[in-house]
Amino acid sequence: MQNIILDNLSLILLLPLWIFLIIMIGRFFSIYVNKKVIYLVTLLSSFLGICTTAFSIANIEDTIVWLYPFIKINNFVLQFGLQVDKLSLIVAFALFVISFSVQLFSISYMKNEKKNYRFFAYLNLFNFSMAFLIFSPNLFQFYVFWELVGIVSYLLIGFDYKNIIKSDASKRVFLINRIGDVALLTGIIVTSYYMFTYANKTFATLSFEDFNAISTFLMAYTSTPVFYIICGTFITAAMVKSAQFPFYTWLQDAMEAKLPVSALLHSATMVIAGVYLIIRMMPFFTITPVLMNIIITIGILTALVCSILASIETNFKKILAYSTSANLGLMFLAIGTEQVKAALILLIAHAFIKSGLFISLPKEKKCSKINFIFFIFGAICLSGILFAGIAPKEIIFANINNFALSLLFMFVSFMTGFYIIRLGILIYKNSEIIKDCNVVELLSFIILFCGNILIYSMFRQTYTLAEPYAAAIGGIAFALLLGKKNVIEKINQTPKFLEKFYNNLVPRVYDKISLWLSFIDNKILSNYKLILFISKLPIKIVDWIEINIMNKYVSFVSNISKDLSRHDMLLQNGNVQTYNAYAFIIVSVIIALMIIGYLVILR
Amino acid sequence: MSDTDFVTMYHYLFLGLILFLIGIIGSIVSKNVIKVLISIEFMLTGININFITFASYCDNYKFDGYIMALFYVGLGAAELAVALYIFYLMFQKKESDCMEDYSN
Amino acid sequence: MINNSVVFFVASFFIICFSILSLFLKNIIYSLLCAIIVFFSTSIIFYNLGSEYNAIIQAAIYGFAVPIIIGISIMFTTKKIYNKKESFISFLTIFFSSLFIMAFVYIIMISNAMIPNTFNVANIQQFSSYDVLLEFAKGIFINYVWAFELLSLLLTVVIAGLTLFNKKERHYKSKIGNEKLKINHKEAEIV
Repeated sequence: MQNIILDNLSLILLLPLWIFLIIMIGRFFSIYVNKKVIYLVTLLSSFLGICTTAFSIANIEDTIVWLYPFIKINNFVLQFGLQVDKLSLIVAFALFVISFSVQLFSISYMKNEKKNYRFFAYLNLFNFSMAFLIFSPNLFQFYVFWELVGIVSYLLIGFDYKNIIKSDASKRVFLINRIGDVALLTGIIVTSYYMFTYANKTFATLSFEDFNAISTFLMAYTSTPVFYIICGTFITAAMVKSAQFPFYTWLQDAMEAKLPVSALLHSATMVIAGVYLIIRMMPFFTITPVLMNIIITIGILTALVCSILASIETNFKKILAYSTSANLGLMFLAIGTEQVKAALILLIAHAFIKSGLFISLPKEKKCSKINFIFFIFGAICLSGILFAGIAPKEIIFANINNFALSLLFMFVSFMTGFYIIRLGILIYKNSEIIKDCNVVELLSFIILFCGNILIYSMFRQTYTLAEPYAAAIGGIAFALLLGKKNVIEKINQTPKFLEKFYNNLVPRVYDKISLWLSFIDNKILSNYKLILFISKLPIKIVDWIEINIMNKYVSFVSNISKDLSRHDMLLQNGNVQTYNAYAFIIVSVIIALMIIGYLVILR
Repeated sequence: MSDTDFVTMYHYLFLGLILFLIGIIGSIVSKNVIKVLISIEFMLTGININFITFASYCDNYKFDGYIMALFYVGLGAAELAVALYIFYLMFQKKESDCMEDYSN
Repeated sequence: MINNSVVFFVASFFIICFSILSLFLKNIIYSLLCAIIVFFSTSIIFYNLGSEYNAIIQAAIYGFAVPIIIGISIMFTTKKIYNKKESFISFLTIFFSSLFIMAFVYIIMISNAMIPNTFNVANIQQFSSYDVLLEFAKGIFINYVWAFELLSLLLTVVIAGLTLFNKKERHYKSKIGNEKLKINHKEAEIV
C-alpha cells in the first residue's frame, strides 16, 4: 500500500500542472471549463497532496530518490526527479494543507471577481512549482523551480494588471527577486565548475545527498575568501527570497496582492524557500563559525528592525508582512545556532498561524465576530504563548549562549506581542464588527486551526523557561495599556528609508552608467569615421542582402504562384471532357514513364 | 495455328487498341453528346475484341473471355440507357446538345 | 476458328475508316450510320475469331437495338449543326494519343515474353462450333450464373429507376401545388 502511494507521489505532484495547462491552454483554444469543475479539481488535487504526504510521513524511513536523466553533455548528466525524505515531506504537507484551506477561502473571496479562472490556474501552478522545489534532488532543479515560484508570485501580485499601482508593485517585487536569482545562479555555476574541474568530475550535478562531500572538497580546492564568496551568494539568495534586512521591501510591495495570495505565498509558503535552501545546504555553513555568525546577525537584525517597523506601521497587511520578515529572521537565528529542528518547527507553525491571521483580516472594513476571535487566537499563538508558538521559542531561547543575543531575543518577543495585539486593537477600532459569517471561510479557519494543533501535538514542549513568555505577556499588556489611553492611533508616520533608497538608486546608477557610455560614443567613436564605417558595414551588408536577394526571391515565388493560379483557373473550366483529357494524358505519360524506367533501370 | 497463317494474334490486338484509342479521342474531342456516347461504345467494342482474341488464342477449354464480352455488351446497353435518359433531362433544361453548354 | 486473312483485313479497314469518319462527320445521322457499319464489321471479326454467339449478339444489340434507340433520341432532340472552334486540349489529346499507342504497341510486342508457357500458341486444338457453344452454355448457366443474374437485375433496376424518376418528380410537384392541381381538375371537369 505504501509503495503504491509513494510510487505515485510524482503523479499527484504533477496534477496541479495538468490543471493549470487544461485551464490556460484550453482557454487559448477556446475550450471553456466550468467554474465549479475548476474549484472542485483544484481542491481535489491539494486534498490528494495532503493525503499522500501525510501517509508518506507515517511510513517513510530512509530517503528515497527517483531520478530521470534530463540533459546529457558527455559525462555530465543533469537529473530531474524527486528526493523524498522526512524534511521535504513535512514541508510539503504544510504546503498542501495551507493551499487547500486558502483555495477554499478564495472560492468565496474571489466569487465576484472577473476572470477568476486565471487566479485558480496560477494557484495550481504555484502548488506544482513549490512542491517540486521542496522535493528537488539537486540544486539545478531547485533553481528552475525557484525561478518559477518567483514568476508565479509576479503573476499573482499583478492579477489586476489594469491597476497601475499593483502592476508597478509586481514589477518591483520581481526586480528585487532577480538579485537573489542571479546570486543563486552564480553560486550554482561556480560550485559546479569547481566540482567539474578539480574534483575529478564527480558531484558536478550538486545533488543534495552529496553536500557533505561537496563542502569539504570546495573548502579544500578553493582559497578561503573564494569559499566565503560562494557561500555568500547562497546566503544572499536566501536573504532575498526570505525578505531579510536590506531586501525586506519587496514583501511590503507584495502586499498589494489579493488577500488569499498574501495568505498563501507571501506569508507561509513562498518566503520559506530561502530558509529551506539554507536548511538543505547546512554542510556549507557549519564548516566555519564565521558563516554561522553572519546568519545569526542577519536574522537578529531583521527581527529587530522589522518588529520595530511593524509597531509603527498602520496598514494591516503591511504590519503582518513586517511580522513575517521578523519571524523569518528568527528562523535564520535558529539556523545560526545550529537548531535546524527549531527552525523547521517555527517555519511550519508560523506558516499555519500567519496564513490564518491573513485570512481573518477584515474585508471592506467589515469583520465578523468569529473572524476576530480567530485573529486574537492566532495573535496569541504568534507571540509564543499558546499551542504551536511555544516549542520553537522554547528551543531557540534554551540554545542561545550569548547574553546580549538572549536579551535581544527577549526584546523581539516583547515587540511581537506588542505589535500583534496593537494590530488587533486597530482592527477593533477601525472596522465594524458584524455577527454573520461565511461558512466556507469558517471551514478554512478550522483547517488551519487543526494544523496548528497538530504541530503542537507533534512537537510538544512544556513551559520550562519563563523569560520569553514573560516578555510576550508584557508586550501584550503594554499594547492593551496604550490602547486604553488611545495612544496607538496617533502613531502613523512610517519611515521608508530603504524604499526611497531603492527607488533612487536604480535610476541614478543607470543614468550614470549610460552617461559614461555616451562619452565613449561622442568623444571617441564619432571622431574616427573608419570605425563608424566598420561598425555600420554589417548592417549595410544585411540591408543589401535583404533588398537584392531576399525580397526578390520572395517576390519571385509569389509571382510564380500567381501565374500558375491564373493558368490553373483557365484549365479548370468545369467541362467534363477537359478532365477526361487530363486523365488520359496523365495515364499515357505514366505508362510511358514506367516503360522507360523499366528499360533504363532494369536492363 | 501454323506458321503459314498470315494473320496472328497481334493483328487483332492492334485492331482493338486502335478502336479503343479512337473511342477515347472521340469522347474527348467531339462536342455533340450523342457522338460522345457512340465513341464510348467504340471503346467497349475495342475491349471486346481484346477479350475474344485472348479467349480464342490462349484459352483452350473454358472460353471465359466470350462470356466476359457478353457481359460487357449488356453493361454497355444499360449504361447507354442511363446516359440517354440524363441527356434527355439535360436537353429539357438547357435546350442544346452541346457538351460545353452543360458545364455551367 | 476461321481466321481468314482477307476477311480480317477488309473488316479491319472498314472498322478504322468508318469509326474515324463517324467522329468527323458533322451531321449526326451520318455518323450514326458509320457507327452501325463499325459494329457490324466487328461482328464479322468475332465470327472470324470463331465465336458465332458473340457475333450474333454484337450484331443484334450494337447493330440494331442501340442505333435505333440513339436514332430515336436524335429525333426527339436535335436539328442543329454546331460549328465551334477546336480547343487546345483536343490537339494535346491527339499528341498524347501517339505516346499512348507507342506505349501499348511496346507492351503488346513484349507480351510474348510475358505470356506463361501454358498459353503456348503451338498447342492450340481446333474446336467445332458445337463445342464452343456448349462451353458458352456451361459458362453462362453454371459457372457464371450469379454474374448473369446480377446483370439482368441491373438492367431491370435501370428500367425501373428510369420510370420511377419521372413518377417521383410528378409526385413532388403535386405536393407543392396541391391547390393549383385541384383547381385544374375542376377546370377539366367543367370543360
